[in-house]
Amino acid sequence: MARLRMSVHRKTLIFAAALAAFAAPAAAANVEAGKYQMVLGDCEGCHAKNLAGGVALQTPFGRMSTPNITPDKETGIGNYTLKDFTLAMRRGVAPGGKRLYPAMPYPAYAHMNDNDIADLWAYLQTVKPVKKAVDVNQLKFPFNQRVLMRGWNMLFFKPKPLADNPAKSAAWNRGAYLVNGPAHCGACHSAKNAFGADKANALTGASLQGWFAPDLTGDRHSGLGAWSQAEIVQYLQTGRNDRSIASGPMAEAVENSTAKMTDGDLGAIAVYLKDLPPSRGNGGKATGVDAQMKAGAVLYDVSCAACHGRDGKGSAIFPALAGNANVTQVRVDTVVRMILAGGKGAATPKAPTGPAMPGFDWRLNNEQTAAILTYVRNNWGNQAPPVSSETVGRLRRSLHSGS
Amino acid sequence: MRPFARREMMASLVSHKAGRDFMETILRRLSRRRLLASVAALPILAATADGRSISGHLPWSPFAGDPPKPVNPLGWYFFNPGEAATVEAIVNRLIPGDHLSPSGKDCGCAVFIDRQLAGDFGQASRLYTKGPFMPGLATQGYQGDLTPAGRYRLGLRALNDYTNTAYKKDFRALTPAQQDTVLAGLDGGSITLKLKSGFSTKEFFELMLQNTMEGFFADPLYGGNKNMASWKMIGFPGARYDYRDHIDKHNQLYPHGPVSIYGQM
Repeated sequence: MARLRMSVHRKTLIFAAALAAFAAPAAAANVEAGKYQMVLGDCEGCHAKNLAGGVALQTPFGRMSTPNITPDKETGIGNYTLKDFTLAMRRGVAPGGKRLYPAMPYPAYAHMNDNDIADLWAYLQTVKPVKKAVDVNQLKFPFNQRVLMRGWNMLFFKPKPLADNPAKSAAWNRGAYLVNGPAHCGACHSAKNAFGADKANALTGASLQGWFAPDLTGDRHSGLGAWSQAEIVQYLQTGRNDRSIASGPMAEAVENSTAKMTDGDLGAIAVYLKDLPPSRGNGGKATGVDAQMKAGAVLYDVSCAACHGRDGKGSAIFPALAGNANVTQVRVDTVVRMILAGGKGAATPKAPTGPAMPGFDWRLNNEQTAAILTYVRNNWGNQAPPVSSETVGRLRRSLHSGS
Repeated sequence: MRPFARREMMASLVSHKAGRDFMETILRRLSRRRLLASVAALPILAATADGRSISGHLPWSPFAGDPPKPVNPLGWYFFNPGEAATVEAIVNRLIPGDHLSPSGKDCGCAVFIDRQLAGDFGQASRLYTKGPFMPGLATQGYQGDLTPAGRYRLGLRALNDYTNTAYKKDFRALTPAQQDTVLAGLDGGSITLKLKSGFSTKEFFELMLQNTMEGFFADPLYGGNKNMASWKMIGFPGARYDYRDHIDKHNQLYPHGPVSIYGQM
């Protein structure tokens, strides 16, 4: 143990020297601050609790496995220098010129400043090394050719640090930095083009892995237009508020990351998100679907109202459906999944219950599910296009095939 | 005998005089050595009952749920065609079609009974059915070696034997009035079928009556209560589970119709 600690000290010294050479203006790296950077970036989310990787990532291009980022010299990043680490984080290039895939959100981390990267590096040096070799690249030809990423980067990667916007408040600028940089919200919430790169309309929502990461812009129905800053903070901190409960990948993000962020950072994120210009919305309310609305009302009463309330307001552990942005997204992947497979909410220190919803797959057919959704999406002030039984059928099949 | 069954039996016995005698006999037979040995075994048994501590999340998995499987409404699984016709005739007399509800047959009571006899209930799969066979108390139900399916098979054959002797016809060919007379005779004790010792004619009648009522009132997924006819008849709302809006509406009729487990309305 003593030897280990000594070696860590020596490493810290070496790396401090490297830091001085590479990033002259940076102050001495701070391990505690680096640990907080790991919270902001939710490194554990992909690289596992012990950071030894091996977590399967299903991408539209095939299966990948996340690498070991513990300081193990053979299987981890023990031989990296701060410069190597910085290049990997901000340019997507590992030592030896090996190109990373943007499943590692380096296009977001490119916005991170030197201090934060150095702190994170300092923290990663203190993590227990784990010897675990991971076969990262399980993609098929041609995607398994890392050299392709050189072209991808030329086309889609514009690495530049995020410049402060002097017209906006300090909180706004901090929020912009967190959302677009370390917290990499766009990795899920921004739609991707055919090459897996962010489209221009950032943070307007995107489908991934059978979920729809909702629109975070100011649109009243599909986005956070109706949410107050305090409601956004409460959601990120506790995993729930009077409008929604985080589930699926967002529940993990809340538990690993946002629930551990400081009040100041959460407030800054809320300030920034509330200032995002509204998206094009979800396409407006359903019209000419009276039969569906009528059937939906009866089915809702029988299958949903006991928990979510006839008024759609839910209660402490049952999410409201009135004003719940997840319900009124342009795509219904998340809500169809929720009704058919059920869902598990986030459990955080401030809201530890982690409520769950049972699946109704056995009981509701496609037509009934579509009617309930159309009704819920257009009741109590909600507005969203109708849902067809074909859409529900397609999502049901893909849920059962496990993709 | 399974320990649980024995414990239950003993518990129900102690309140009766005969039961007390029975207990005393058992306790006399239980030697001191056997008692000590069985007490010594207790901590070992208790140690195997492990608790599981749960933290963070309650256990949850997608598509969880163990919903009962709806029965296939077509065909017969246990009854042969003759038995099926006899049971349909019986349930039609026990629940005749009238202004209150469709008949027992039209409500699927015979299908319900058939599926139950073909399944766990009919095979007595959750009951101890080995010897020794002793006469039980009235509260203990049937104590013999026949499964419910076996009792139906025996009883239906004996019923037709009786009607063929008395009327020269199978039960199902009798007029409704004759069928009522026969059923009343089974119930009232004026008719004794050739069954088996420990299985009385009255018990056979009560078994059929009980199962017919179950088929009439159970959820439609089990084959009976077609279109929730019985629930509509008595105003039972079925598998609804939220009455908060109606709790304080005293002396008012509940306005909503029934819902089945599978959400049929």
